[in-house]
Amino acid sequence: MPGQTQDSARIEPARPRESPLALGVRAILRKRSSRVAIIVLGVIVMIAILAPFIAPYDPAAQPDIVAGKDLPPSLAHPFGTDPYSRDVLSRVIYGARLSLTIGILATMVSLTFGVAYGAIAGYASGLVDGVMMRLLDALLSIPRLLLLLGVLVAWPHLSIGSLILFLGLTGWFGLSRIVRGQVLALKHAEFVTAAEALGASRRRILVRHLLPNLVSPIAVASTLGIAHVIVLEAGLSYLGIGVPQPMASWGNIIYDGTDQIARLWWMSLFPGLFMVITVMTLNVLGESLRDVYERR
Amino acid sequence: MTPLLSIRDLRTYFHTEAGVARSVDGVSFDIGEGETVGIVGESGCGKSVTALSILRLIQPPGRIETGSRIEFEGKDLVTLDDEAMRNIRGNRISMIFQEPMSALNPVFSVGDQVAEVMRIHGGVSRRQAWDRAVETLALTGIPSPEERAKQYPHQLSGGMRQRVLIAMALIMKPALIIADEPTTALDVTIQAQILELLMKLQKEFGTSILMITHDLGVIAETTSRVIVMYAGEVVEEASVSELFARPHHPYTEGLMGSMPHIGHEMDRLNVIPGTVPAPTNWPQGCRFFERCRYSWDRPEHEHPPLYDVGANHRSRCHLAVEPQHRNQPHEPLVIREGAGAA
Repeated sequence: MPGQTQDSARIEPARPRESPLALGVRAILRKRSSRVAIIVLGVIVMIAILAPFIAPYDPAAQPDIVAGKDLPPSLAHPFGTDPYSRDVLSRVIYGARLSLTIGILATMVSLTFGVAYGAIAGYASGLVDGVMMRLLDALLSIPRLLLLLGVLVAWPHLSIGSLILFLGLTGWFGLSRIVRGQVLALKHAEFVTAAEALGASRRRILVRHLLPNLVSPIAVASTLGIAHVIVLEAGLSYLGIGVPQPMASWGNIIYDGTDQIARLWWMSLFPGLFMVITVMTLNVLGESLRDVYERR
Repeated sequence: MTPLLSIRDLRTYFHTEAGVARSVDGVSFDIGEGETVGIVGESGCGKSVTALSILRLIQPPGRIETGSRIEFEGKDLVTLDDEAMRNIRGNRISMIFQEPMSALNPVFSVGDQVAEVMRIHGGVSRRQAWDRAVETLALTGIPSPEERAKQYPHQLSGGMRQRVLIAMALIMKPALIIADEPTTALDVTIQAQILELLMKLQKEFGTSILMITHDLGVIAETTSRVIVMYAGEVVEEASVSELFARPHHPYTEGLMGSMPHIGHEMDRLNVIPGTVPAPTNWPQGCRFFERCRYSWDRPEHEHPPLYDVGANHRSRCHLAVEPQHRNQPHEPLVIREGAGAA
C-alpha cells in the first residue's frame, strides 16, 4: 500500500453516515420538546391532507340557514355551527388545509427571493451590495401588515394565488439580511479561497459552496416564517380582506363569528386553538433548530 | 531551458485607507520543471501574497501592479482573462493551504470535494470523478479510501485532512503545486509524514513545488533552492546547501541563529530584534537596516541591489561590497515593537 500512514490510529473507526444534515436531525430529535412538536405538527398536517375524509360535513354547505345556525357544540356538531348553519369542525379541518398551504407556499416565495437577493448582495459586495441593502432598508421601513392592508384594500377580491404571492413578496426582507450576513461571513472562509484556487467559478462557489452552508439559518427562518404567515393570514381574514368566502381559513372562521363573539364563543375558540397550537409547535421547532445550529 | 514559472518584478500592492501597502515589491524568481523551491521569511514579509498573486487570488483593495510579469507555460498570468485563469487554477497550478480544517467545506464529504476538482476541469461523469477521487486519496496514503471518501472533514484527523487537500491539489496532475505552510498546523510527527508524502509524489509525477514556510527545517528537508524574503523583497537566493553553508544576508543569518539546535546549550533562543516594518512604510534604503547587526559606509538611503555573492548565490546586502564591516557587529539601531503588520 502506498504511503504508510502512522496517524491512522488517531481517528475513530469509519462511520459514513455523519453528514452535517444527519447530525443536525439527530440533535433535534434528541430534544423532547422538538419530538413533541414534530408529532403535533405531523397530526395537524395529516388532518389537513386527509380533510375530505375526516370532515363530517361539506365545509361550505348551508343545510338549514334558519334552524341549523348558531348551534353550540353538540354530538352532531362537536365545534358547533356558524351563522350560515355550516359545521365549524369541518371548516376548521379544511381551514387547516388552507392556512398551512398558504403558510408554506408564501414562505417558499419569500425563501426564493430572500435567498437570491441576500446571496447576490453578500457575494457581490461593494457598490452592488450597498445599493441593494439601502433598497432593502427602505422596504423594511414599511410595516408588513400596513403594506398588505394597502394592497388588499386596493384590490379587495384577490384570488388565493395572489394572496400567497403578496404574503410571500412582503416576507423576504429579513431573511435576505440573514443570508447576506452569512454569505459575507463565509465569503472569506479559507474553503472559499481554496475553491477559487481550484478553478471554481463565482457561480459555482455561491451555489455549491456557500448556499449549502446556509441550510441551517434558512431552515430556522422558514419554520418561523410559516408560523408568521399563518398569523398574518388569520389577521387579514379576520379583517375580512384575506381568504374569500366560502372558503374556510382559521382567520375567516373567527371573522364569521366576530359580531357575536361573546355568544358564539365556539366560533373563535376552536379555530383559535388550532392556530395557536400550530404556531406554537412551529416556533418550538424553529427554536430548537436554531439551538442545534448555533451550538455548532 | 526555459523555466516552468518565471516571475519578474512582481509587485502586489494593497491600496488601503492607511496608504499603499507594498506587500510584494519587485520580486523575481524562476521555478524549473520538477524543481522544489522554498520561500522562507517571517510573517508579513510577503510570502503568502506572492503565492496568491501567482494564482491571481488577490482580493481588492489588493492589486497586482502593471509591469509585473508571471510567465507560466508560455502565458502571462497577470494579463490572462478570467476564464483562462480558472482553467489554470487547480488544473495546471494548484495550492495546498495551511489550515486543512478551514480549507475544506464542512458540509460535503471529502470524496465529493476531491471529485469536484475533476468535475470542474475534467469534463467527466460524476461516477468517473468519484472513482478518480478515491484513487487519488489512496495515492496520498489514506487507508480504506472508499470509506474515507464518504466521510466529512470533521470526522478526519488533521493529518488525514491535509492528505485530502493534497489529493485535491494532485488530482489534475498539475505542473506546479504551491504549498503554503502545509505542515504548520500539524503535529510534529505528522509534519514529517506529510513532507515525505509530498516529496514522494513529486518524484512520481515530476511536479514542481513552491514550498512556502517560515521553518528552515522544512526548507532543508524538501527544497533544492531557497528564496529568502524580507519586507516584500527577495533578500537572498541560493541553493539549499550553499545557503546553509554560507548564509550571506544578515537576515538569513538571523533566521538560522534563531533555530534551536540539539546539543547546543543556550539560555534563550537568539532572536532577531524588532519586527518587520509596516508595508505601507518600508524604509527607503536597506529595509533590514534598523534590525541589522552590521553597519556600512554607503549612504543610508541607498537601496541595495541583489549582489552576486557566489555561484547562483545572490544577496541584497551592501556587505557584499564592504565585507570588512562583517567583522564589526554592533547593537541594532531601533527595536520597533508591534510596528509590523501581519
